[in-house]
Amino acid sequence: MTEISLKVENLRKTFGNTVAVDDVTFEVRRGEFFSLIGPSGCGKTTTLRCIAGLEKPDKGRIIIGERDVTNLPPQMRNVGLVFQEYAVFPHMTVYENMAFGLKIKKLPKDEIHNRVLRIAELLNLEEYLNVRAGRLAQALMQRVALARSIIVEPEILLLDEPLTLVDAKIKELMRRELRRYQKELGVTILHVTHDQLEAMMVSDRIGVMCQGKILQIGTPIEIYDKPNSIFVARFIGSPTMNLIEGRLEQYNDELFLDADDVGIPLYGVSSEKLRGYIGKDVVLGVRPEDIEILTQPTEGSFAGKITLIESLGSKLEIIVELNSVTLHVLSPLRRDLKVGQPIHLKIRPTKAHVFNKTTENNIMLEEV
Amino acid sequence: MATKPPRSVNLLANLPLNILLYAVLIIPLAIMIYISFTDWNPAKGYDWWQAPLSGINNFVRMLGDVRLGAALGRTIVFVLVVVAVEFLLGLGMAYLLLAEFPGKRGIISLIIYPLMLPWVVVGLVFYLLFADFGPVVNVFLKAIMGETFTKTSLLLNPTIGFTVIMLADIWQWTPFMFLILYAGLSAVPKKFIEAAQVLGASSRTIFRRIQFPLIRPLAMVALVLRSLEAFKVFDTVYMITRGGPGSTTETISFYIYMLAVRYYDMAYASAVSLVLLIALAIVIRVFVKYAIERGGA
Amino acid sequence: MGVASKVLRIVAIAIFMAWLMIPIVWTLSLSFKPYLEWRAPHFWPKNPTLLNYKILFFYQREIAGTTGGTALTKPMITPLINTLIVVGVSTIIAVIIGFFTAYGASRYNSPGPFGLYFTLLTRMVPPATFVTPVLIYYRMIGFLDTQLGLILLYAAATVTYSIWILKGFIDQIPREWEEAAILEGLSPLRAMLRVTLPLIKSALVVSGLFIFLMNYSEFLFALVLTTRNAVTLPVHLTTYVGGSGVLYGAQAACGIVASIIPLVIGYVIQRHLITGLTFGMVRA
Repeated sequence: MTEISLKVENLRKTFGNTVAVDDVTFEVRRGEFFSLIGPSGCGKTTTLRCIAGLEKPDKGRIIIGERDVTNLPPQMRNVGLVFQEYAVFPHMTVYENMAFGLKIKKLPKDEIHNRVLRIAELLNLEEYLNVRAGRLAQALMQRVALARSIIVEPEILLLDEPLTLVDAKIKELMRRELRRYQKELGVTILHVTHDQLEAMMVSDRIGVMCQGKILQIGTPIEIYDKPNSIFVARFIGSPTMNLIEGRLEQYNDELFLDADDVGIPLYGVSSEKLRGYIGKDVVLGVRPEDIEILTQPTEGSFAGKITLIESLGSKLEIIVELNSVTLHVLSPLRRDLKVGQPIHLKIRPTKAHVFNKTTENNIMLEEV
Repeated sequence: MATKPPRSVNLLANLPLNILLYAVLIIPLAIMIYISFTDWNPAKGYDWWQAPLSGINNFVRMLGDVRLGAALGRTIVFVLVVVAVEFLLGLGMAYLLLAEFPGKRGIISLIIYPLMLPWVVVGLVFYLLFADFGPVVNVFLKAIMGETFTKTSLLLNPTIGFTVIMLADIWQWTPFMFLILYAGLSAVPKKFIEAAQVLGASSRTIFRRIQFPLIRPLAMVALVLRSLEAFKVFDTVYMITRGGPGSTTETISFYIYMLAVRYYDMAYASAVSLVLLIALAIVIRVFVKYAIERGGA
Repeated sequence: MGVASKVLRIVAIAIFMAWLMIPIVWTLSLSFKPYLEWRAPHFWPKNPTLLNYKILFFYQREIAGTTGGTALTKPMITPLINTLIVVGVSTIIAVIIGFFTAYGASRYNSPGPFGLYFTLLTRMVPPATFVTPVLIYYRMIGFLDTQLGLILLYAAATVTYSIWILKGFIDQIPREWEEAAILEGLSPLRAMLRVTLPLIKSALVVSGLFIFLMNYSEFLFALVLTTRNAVTLPVHLTTYVGGSGVLYGAQAACGIVASIIPLVIGYVIQRHLITGLTFGMVRA
């Protein structure tokens, strides 16, 4: 029994002139919930399909368990796959769908029966066992697709945007159910989605993809707190991170960003790596939830004017203008703010991200 | 969805059709019904509407008509054999052509050409094929059995003659089955097949348990349509054996033709036609009900 | 697993293709054989000739010598013209009437489903069952051996196809477009002609060509109802009997020539063949 359920090495796949997957390498550990996320067209689904054996990569290796399956057809890879559209066999009953993979393995009838009942119980499908799968509602179909895949006990379960087609209200429920099954069964999951929030909520680790490449791999917290590039920083987190271009300057031992008509102090930020960028153009990134709004100025604060206040239930989204720069701020509920009101803003000390303007990499994470 | 139709459109939508059908089909139908209760034939010297009704003589005669029974039985055998073979062959070819390979579209294009040929031409082609100077006799049988066969005409043997007629239909219409089944199989969403592959299914299993079951309704339509068409067979019978020798390769359509056109036995021909129509109407009604129940055609 | 089944597949397909090709190739071969070789046992002509094709079109006493003095058959020209006229006109009638009926059925359920299924019946019953009464009827009204008689019959027999095929296409055009035209002042009739009709032009062509194909091949009624004047090609094909037997070579040539038009049409609409043959139930 290995530690690593899946190893993808230097995977490359092109379609005609388009490079869909460009030198992708990553690992998924046994029992882990790993998500590959990225915008449409970034190559995550293609990567998934290559792992499943439905696409043939141009280069690279895929190792599942301890076997190199790169040249094996899907039938022999011992993976499970749940499609975006579920693809449950409509003409078969739920029972037959679930028994399908087991019958192919030629398991004895009672063994099959037992396993089906067990998994059906886990996924709350017992009452639907004799219903034709084509007649089920969406949420049920997804459970059947899931059941059918995990019942054959694959080395790794691949999920292709499983919640994309689901109604928003049910999504929440299904997300939790998914996590529960995974933990209870100890299934290793590689999950692919464009919904970063969803991935952040369920995953042990996340890989962010863009244009065929993996930009960063880490736990949700790592990715959120320490994005290694502008793309990752913007892709993760909602509302999106604020980005301000300017020049890094120093004044009395304090760093600040000179954005033409605005000066934003980087209070409490000090880093050797930043020293080398003083006087150079950089991009400052701050998440809306990391900006404090104060009615009185304090050390390290800067001034601005409220132009819009939107209520998000338990939070407020406030748009603040500082001359030519516009900032989105996410603030806890408070009643003392008005549109047009001049206020003071302060960035929480460890939450300022500074990016190299040309490479778009996070300067503070750069290797020296 | 259905509102009341405006006058002009309603008129156009119904009148021309009705005129056409009434003039050309309904009136003859009425004539047929009337005549089947008479004893009329053209040699009698008076017009058909002057013929006296003679009750159900014709219908009684049908019960004892051996030649009729033979023709009908032969036709039914024809339909069963021909449709079954066409279905199996068509399915086999559809299965073989599911995979992608270069030139596939060209081959499919080529496969369907027999469907376009006039049916008499097909009859002619097979007549020529099995004639005593044809390649079947001369190339194949000579190789197997020596010279002796070339002197007897294959087609004079009723069994062989009828088989050739069946062969002609199979030759022409297997591509029809193939096209329909192929279209149906290709339309099965790729996702089902991929899902089955990941679950470990071989392409044989996928065909048997996923693709084939999913084209059931289509297959039923094809079978019913083809059976109805096959039942009408006439042109090839005419061209290949003329129903002969004697009446040993007659189909029901051919027998009616003989009755009406050769023997001028109009009244009896009408009666036979009438009964056949009614019987078919009932069978079709039953079939349609069955098909609708079995999953909405 | 891989190679053996691939080879098997290729072999199976090859056998099937050969089976489809050989009969026609034999007929072709025969059509190029001179009289003396018509009954010869070898497959290919030893002295290929175009004589048989000439026989089709020309009255030839001069060819008589080379055909062993056999009496001649009539040239193919009249039957060809008859066929083109009869099939052409009946097709046009069938498509026009079919369009109106399909439109009414699609938009207003008139004729209703019962009427529609009744038209299907016209296609399901064996034509032979109508031979007797039509023969009598046509003799009575003087339609025997006339082009008009056949035209009406063919139109009635194939209007079903155009109704069902066109209805399928009309169903797919949103009614809002006609309703918009009506709101702008067009009468419903005009709306049908100006809005819907142009949109289904290709469907009209397809159903027309398909019906042409069906009618072209019609044999039984042409055989029974025509004797001299209105003889069509399929019937003409059966007349290649001369003094000393069947003119095999010429008959083969006639079969080949008679197949040209349907093959051309067939390939033009090849993608829609199944749609036609299944009354629009299966759309490839």
